[in-house]
Amino acid sequence: MAESEPRVGIVANPVSARDIRRVIANATSLQVADRANIVLRVLAALGACGVQRVAMMPEKGGIRGLVDRGLRREINLGERVFPELDFVATPVTGTVEDTLAAVEEMVDVGVAAIVVLGGDGTHRAVVKRCGNVPISGISTGTNNAFPEYREPTITGLAVGLAATGRVPETTAIAQNKMLRVDLNHGAHKDIALVDVAISAERHVGARALWRTESFRELFVTFADPQVIGMSAIAGLIAPLGRDEPGGIHLRLGPPAEAGSVFQIPIAPGLMRPIGVHNWNWIDPGEVVTVRQPAGVVGLDGEREIQFGERDRVTVSLVEGAFRTIDVRACMHYAARHKLFAQGALRSLRITLEEES
Amino acid sequence: MSDNPFPLSRDELLRAYRTMRTIREFEERLHVEFSRGDIPGFVHLYAGEEATATGIMMNLRPSDRIASTHRGHGHCIAKGVDVNAMMAEIYGKQSGACRGKGGSMHIADLSQGMMGANGILGAGAPLVCGAALAAKFRGDGDVAVNFVGDGASNQGTFLESLNLAAVWNLPAIFVVENNGYAESTSVDWAVACDSYVDRAAGFGMPGMTVDGTDFFAVYEAADEIIRRARDGGGPALLECKMVRFFGHFEGDAQTYRAPGEIDEIRSSRNCLTLFRNQVTEAGVIDGGDLDAIDREVLDLIEMSVVNAKKAPEPTRADLLTDVYVTY
Repeated sequence: MAESEPRVGIVANPVSARDIRRVIANATSLQVADRANIVLRVLAALGACGVQRVAMMPEKGGIRGLVDRGLRREINLGERVFPELDFVATPVTGTVEDTLAAVEEMVDVGVAAIVVLGGDGTHRAVVKRCGNVPISGISTGTNNAFPEYREPTITGLAVGLAATGRVPETTAIAQNKMLRVDLNHGAHKDIALVDVAISAERHVGARALWRTESFRELFVTFADPQVIGMSAIAGLIAPLGRDEPGGIHLRLGPPAEAGSVFQIPIAPGLMRPIGVHNWNWIDPGEVVTVRQPAGVVGLDGEREIQFGERDRVTVSLVEGAFRTIDVRACMHYAARHKLFAQGALRSLRITLEEES
Repeated sequence: MSDNPFPLSRDELLRAYRTMRTIREFEERLHVEFSRGDIPGFVHLYAGEEATATGIMMNLRPSDRIASTHRGHGHCIAKGVDVNAMMAEIYGKQSGACRGKGGSMHIADLSQGMMGANGILGAGAPLVCGAALAAKFRGDGDVAVNFVGDGASNQGTFLESLNLAAVWNLPAIFVVENNGYAESTSVDWAVACDSYVDRAAGFGMPGMTVDGTDFFAVYEAADEIIRRARDGGGPALLECKMVRFFGHFEGDAQTYRAPGEIDEIRSSRNCLTLFRNQVTEAGVIDGGDLDAIDREVLDLIEMSVVNAKKAPEPTRADLLTDVYVTY
């Protein structure tokens, strides 16, 4: 992963956390200015680790202008050293196509890693194109089961350490699971990083999933009891780690018809009763056919694919599907090996004899 | 026909399509008629943006009030203003919705809750605060909806109204119709706060963004926002990202557009085509039923133009009527 002058990519989605959950659930609206500040903090951390070049996704949502302005101010102040920042030359449409095109370009120019600012949907788009390049997520979306909550400076440091090879790849990289969705034997294929939800609703509409009475099935790659959203249903019934094998398939239904009912944080501040018929493990490679005859497939929390009685939808789990930077492992390695020491390192720990 | 997967009945879906098609044909015909030189004043056409007006108005009742913009024909039609009266108004005739005195930018019909198109940018927002305050006092669950363009959303009146609506917790909804251009200036250059959701958050009210060319996305968002306002949940902002098929006004050379932009949006972001595909592919409505609506709407618009041209103009005596209001 390390090269002589490693370059890192940044994808910052200006339109994540803008959907209906701000109305129905008091969800966060992370301001564009805050997103730009996060990028500046990541750039500072990457620069501190020796990353000299960063390629960023262009967009017209305001982040680019604020980052440019912030960099000019910081350079005028002369207090911190930032990597050289370029924006990849891909079209800006204001859609997910921007992310797909920018990531393709970043992979082509050989970035060592990609930092992603967004929710689960943004990360999913990046994974569609990043290939073997590891990604590192910063949560700026609504439900955010996939990116872990962490100060972005630390994420930037870990990525910088990994990209420059100061943390070996065996430590810095984690493998991840994902779900493949197949409609009508390959007529339409898609992926999900965290969950595939099957709803009895049959239109995409405002995309978010919140009408819990319509939930019918759920597939998850991991089940964390500390997250919100669809995967929280599995997380509060059968926790399963990101690094543990297998996935989970749950059959859901209206609370009045289901064998068990759980109260689940389905969106920020929105606790709802969810009826659960049963659940089962999914093995890697196992192809599970969706039983719901007609509805809509939600991928990582957003309605994406409508299907009817004549359609066949299958879901399968893929292990080792894509790579992420293990921020925790990188920072622990850095601490153990004193990677942030400057100059000669003396013995730090005071012994009893020295103290006396 | 299959089970209906949509949140509207088949009849309601047909009504939504008829409304969108009526707006489209009304505007396409005006585009032609204006070039003949028979229509006084300016017209600003809503073609391309039909899904937003229709998706929102399908959630309103006649007693709910709206305040529109200079680009108001779509809002009028979707709120139920008579198409013949609108066309006559645009032609400046006595049989017009405002007896020919308002023209395109001032069509109003209080019987339908349409407080008026408005030639003053950003002027609808304070009106909506007043209507929403009245509804709050009456306690009847009515709401008021303000439509504003991305450019006019920078007006002080609009920002003051967001503040007032939030402070008084009014049943007011602010719909930012973001078609990407304030007249000819790109939104990228004209709006300092790059996200309207951020702007709403600054006033302590929820905001959200939807694809304004997807009827069902708009309908579903408006359903939640309007229901919340009716139930006392207060104001909200809805940004609808949309496209404008014509220029800012008729006669606009549109030199600010990218080459091929109009052809591209007409083919890829045509809300009527999207709606037709959604309901026919789901097997809820047969394409033939939509074709029949298309024909009926064409006849309606043709008659409205014929009638408008034949109608008498206002007389000198009409100058002194409808000037003052008595309470």
